[in-house]
Amino acid sequence: MNFVPRYLGRGSWLAQRDPRLLVIAVACFILAAIQVWDIRVMLVLTALGFAWYRQAHIPFRAVRRQWLFAIGFVTLIVIFNLVVASPDRQLHLREGAVEHIYGSIPILGKPVSDATVTYAATQWLRFMGMIAIGFPIAFSIDPSAFGATFARLGVPYRFAFAIDLTWRFIPSFAADFRTTLDAQRVRGMDLAPAGRTPISRLKRQIPVVVPTVVNAIAGAEDTIDAMDLRSFGTGRRTWLHDLRFDRTDRLVLIGFATLLVVATIAAWTAGTAYLWVPPFMVPGG
Amino acid sequence: MTAITMNRSSLWAVDSRTIVYSAIGAALYGVLVGLFKVPLPGTTAVDVRPAFALVPFFGFAFGPVAGFFTGLVGNMIGDQISGWGALTSYNWSLANGAAGLLAGLAPLYLAGWLNGSIGRKAAAGAVAGAVGVVIGFLIVFSDIVKDGLDFNAALGEYVPAVVGDLVATIILVPILVYAWEPVRERLGR
Repeated sequence: MNFVPRYLGRGSWLAQRDPRLLVIAVACFILAAIQVWDIRVMLVLTALGFAWYRQAHIPFRAVRRQWLFAIGFVTLIVIFNLVVASPDRQLHLREGAVEHIYGSIPILGKPVSDATVTYAATQWLRFMGMIAIGFPIAFSIDPSAFGATFARLGVPYRFAFAIDLTWRFIPSFAADFRTTLDAQRVRGMDLAPAGRTPISRLKRQIPVVVPTVVNAIAGAEDTIDAMDLRSFGTGRRTWLHDLRFDRTDRLVLIGFATLLVVATIAAWTAGTAYLWVPPFMVPGG
Repeated sequence: MTAITMNRSSLWAVDSRTIVYSAIGAALYGVLVGLFKVPLPGTTAVDVRPAFALVPFFGFAFGPVAGFFTGLVGNMIGDQISGWGALTSYNWSLANGAAGLLAGLAPLYLAGWLNGSIGRKAAAGAVAGAVGVVIGFLIVFSDIVKDGLDFNAALGEYVPAVVGDLVATIILVPILVYAWEPVRERLGR
């Protein structure tokens, strides 16, 4: 797996936006989506998420593995929730709405109804929309602008600097990890899964994990000294990247803020916080 | 300055040392979390993630701020690398952060153990980590509100996650303390 932050969306419309916009868009979208249980509205939100994702122009072959993981994991969570949920759980049905039972899951005896299936489909769409809109954060923000982005979003500059530092450390730690792994293999260590218990399998990984961690910590002294010598922490600092919202950024920002406000109002007044079961799912409907 | 010599007033200090150790912890956790997974027998999708031990270890060794940052940002990075998205499960990242923070508060509730032998310090690391995991991960019950999960489903996420992370914490944190202590003394920290 490639751990180096890849700027796959370089040059795309999203990459040209102020990186703060990408973070704010995700926050607004998630806060809006978690209030919605009407699958029609959720379909619109998910389509919006994928339309946003398309603007990042991320080559699919480069992130195919990530998409397969995301789709598989979302499906697993949704099915798990469907299977283990108690029969009297909250399904966000309107008062007086009737649930039509199709049957029950063999062995477990959990009822499957038009409401539970719609609920699961809405939940699945919600996750996919959230993932689609969040993807560009990793691949369409210039890795060197992460610190400035979070600092300008109000994160205290020391922590914004730590976020920046984290992204910069990742490639070198990944290289150190590979070196440690190779060194242990040369000494005859076999990392292939073996052993009957999880504990014995866990123990096999200690010769790789511990040296990687201790080397990384011990090697931090140079960075700490460099920061101290530059008087880190004694006053406010400026950032190399000067971030400014342009006209397009402001318009998109207003759009996402409006989305959040409308979703909140609609949830309270228009009933989008209630589950909507498509008529074709109702037996005889 | 580690938790082992840390006094109460310096617990919340945010200096260059805290920042660098926080960043190292988060980067290591983000890189390693997806690489090593040991399936738990008898479960379907539950893995022991050895890299999780870094969260309580960084909290225990470098303080609650470093522990919180390692858990929060490291988990977000791991999620983003895997394709899940940094903010999709922000509450799980907060839970990871809380686990690291609570482990970092060990000087407040395990003070007696921290001044003893290296064996006692290692045991304190395991206990502090376990406390952090069990309490910190209660935050994942917010999935009931955030994702519309049923209580049983949320419990079905919490218990395996806590069991897996406890196994990693109890085994690996003492080993990391044993490995780090001599290095710390050699560095004069």
